[in-house]
Amino acid sequence: MATEILTLNNVTRIYGKEATQVNALTDVSLSITKGEFVSIVGPSGCGKSTLLNIMGALDQPTSGEVHFDGNSLDEMSRGELTDLRLQKFGFVFQAFNLLPVLTAAENVQFILQLLGFARYERQSRTREILDALGLVDVADRPATELSGGQQQRIAIARALVGEPALLFADEPSANLDSTATRELCELLQQINTDRGITVVTATHDPLVMGYTNRSIHLEDGRVVEDKSNP
Amino acid sequence: MKQSLSSRVSLIYALSVRNLWRQRRRNTILLVSVICAITGVVVLNSLIRGMQLQMVDQVVYNLNGHITLHAPDYRSDPAITRGFLEDFEEFTRKLDSENLAGWATRIKIPAVVMSERETRGVQIVGLDPAQEDISVVADLPIEGSFLANSADNRIVLGRALLTQLRTKIGHRIVVVMQDINSKSKEVGFQIAGVYDSDSEGMEKHVIFAGKGALQQFLDSKSITELSIRFNTRLIPPDGLESISQSFPNLETVDWKNIDPILAFMYESVNAMVYIWLAIVFTALVFGLMNTFITAVLERTQEIGLCKSMGMKSSLVLYQVVTESLIVMFLGLIGGLLLSWGVLQLLGDGIDLSAFAAGVEMLNLAPKIRPAVVWQDVSIVVIATVFLALVASLYPAIRAVRLDPLIALRD
Ligand SMILES: Nc1ncnc2c1ncn2[C@@H]1O[C@H](COP(=O)(O)OP(=O)(O)O)[C@@H](O)[C@H]1O
Ligand SMILES: [Mg+2]
Repeated sequence: MATEILTLNNVTRIYGKEATQVNALTDVSLSITKGEFVSIVGPSGCGKSTLLNIMGALDQPTSGEVHFDGNSLDEMSRGELTDLRLQKFGFVFQAFNLLPVLTAAENVQFILQLLGFARYERQSRTREILDALGLVDVADRPATELSGGQQQRIAIARALVGEPALLFADEPSANLDSTATRELCELLQQINTDRGITVVTATHDPLVMGYTNRSIHLEDGRVVEDKSNP
Repeated sequence: MKQSLSSRVSLIYALSVRNLWRQRRRNTILLVSVICAITGVVVLNSLIRGMQLQMVDQVVYNLNGHITLHAPDYRSDPAITRGFLEDFEEFTRKLDSENLAGWATRIKIPAVVMSERETRGVQIVGLDPAQEDISVVADLPIEGSFLANSADNRIVLGRALLTQLRTKIGHRIVVVMQDINSKSKEVGFQIAGVYDSDSEGMEKHVIFAGKGALQQFLDSKSITELSIRFNTRLIPPDGLESISQSFPNLETVDWKNIDPILAFMYESVNAMVYIWLAIVFTALVFGLMNTFITAVLERTQEIGLCKSMGMKSSLVLYQVVTESLIVMFLGLIGGLLLSWGVLQLLGDGIDLSAFAAGVEMLNLAPKIRPAVVWQDVSIVVIATVFLALVASLYPAIRAVRLDPLIALRD
């Protein structure tokens, strides 16, 4: 039996109060298995980001439970959730990903510094990952001088460098053209197959969905379809 | 393998420095205002302290010393009958262990002086010129000559009194005093010389005679005071107590008792120094806080990003506080260097003689020489660090409270 790494049971997320409340997610139950490359798809406003944030321990459900590796996130303190994100998860966001005051390589090293690696270890690991993703050329460029595609690739390098169990990417290709989107998806696929890292990405782009081996369809905060892609 | 602390410190430091540099114009303005505030406080405090110490110098120097010892009943009725015997060896032995510039024994009693034309009430001071290197007497400009020694039976007057008496150097005057038997005694003195003083009061009311000569005229071996001056500008911490223990039978009077108004001013100046510091630093704290709140607000997204990736709240806090500490540390160094430069320029003192009338009334010297009190400077240093923490704490807490999701939303 394949190992379930992340499990959601009857997760509901309601924003706001009373009159203005929005049911962003309603009664979502699903589990992610180790090694999967999953896409969460659906139109804008259907709850993809909300779901991803709850999975990534960035947000807490109004009701329902989330388990990572058999541990309930509900029972963890803020600090423990912060540590969990740092040590087990990698994040790639839609638009704003890099700290503008740092160079590309420093943005990658950032995670290793938070993790407390020594200088030499940080530098060699950073080199290694930039090398693997073909980003050595832009390593010393300020983050603000990178193209959109380069920024997203650096963000992926940063998400990977700490060797997380899970990588979350929320519409990583939203600001990219189709060529750059393809390159990005190939990269995610390569990470998934070569490094065995579980990848969960939200997208409304069928092109991205095509690369993944499972897609979960959301509509108005409910799972309407969950299927494997051959 | 893991050197957690140093790697986090280097991260915080790099982020702080670069974020400061990113807003270099704004932060330079902030830095300059910190430098100005610190320089203003240090320089002005040094001037105030200089003025304060000069006030004390003046009293101490003016025939008082830091501490004056009298027979217990002398101050209520200064007369030779209320004097005490001088024992040079005993005094030397008792005062040997103190850190003194010197000591002098004197007779100070009221007298009336008469010339052929005028009569005036004065204080006659019998002294030994050899002991007076600790007082103003050694530096008074003299026309004619000063007393040669304790046994010199001539007299020295102030310029203003000489004019009032309408007499001259070399002429004789008559001095009426009470002797040891409380009998009035008239003694004729020849005027040896005339002194000039900044203080017209002194010129009019203080005349000098030889101590030994005066004792002979008064039929007594007594003195009325033992005046002590320390090697420091102020009385050392336990100086007063140590002296009064050595002379249990005498009344010990320090400069604060001699001039209570000045003592009050002296204490007020202490308060002034700290009030002034508090005002400047309070103003500064709001400027700093405002800048760092702005810095946090314009970096909302970045802070949210850091937190979502797993940066601990404590690191978010340290980052904002570190920025503030860096600015304040640079401001402190710049401010102290600039203060040093300004004080170097003011080293000779600021000339206040243009306002001489007011200056004399307040018993101030015409030139203010700044005096750096290290305790004040260390208070400025500590206050600056404290300020950096206080001013950045609120902005830092705001940064910690940012919800990474809301911060990241576009
Ligand atoms: N913080 C929030 N407060 C209120 N409503 C929100 C908040 N975040 C998202 N929503 C609402 O929840 C719904 C789902 O949003 P989201 O998860 O961002 O959708 P998607 O990522 O699929 O576009 C939307 O209707 C959105 O307006
Ligand atoms: Mg979204």
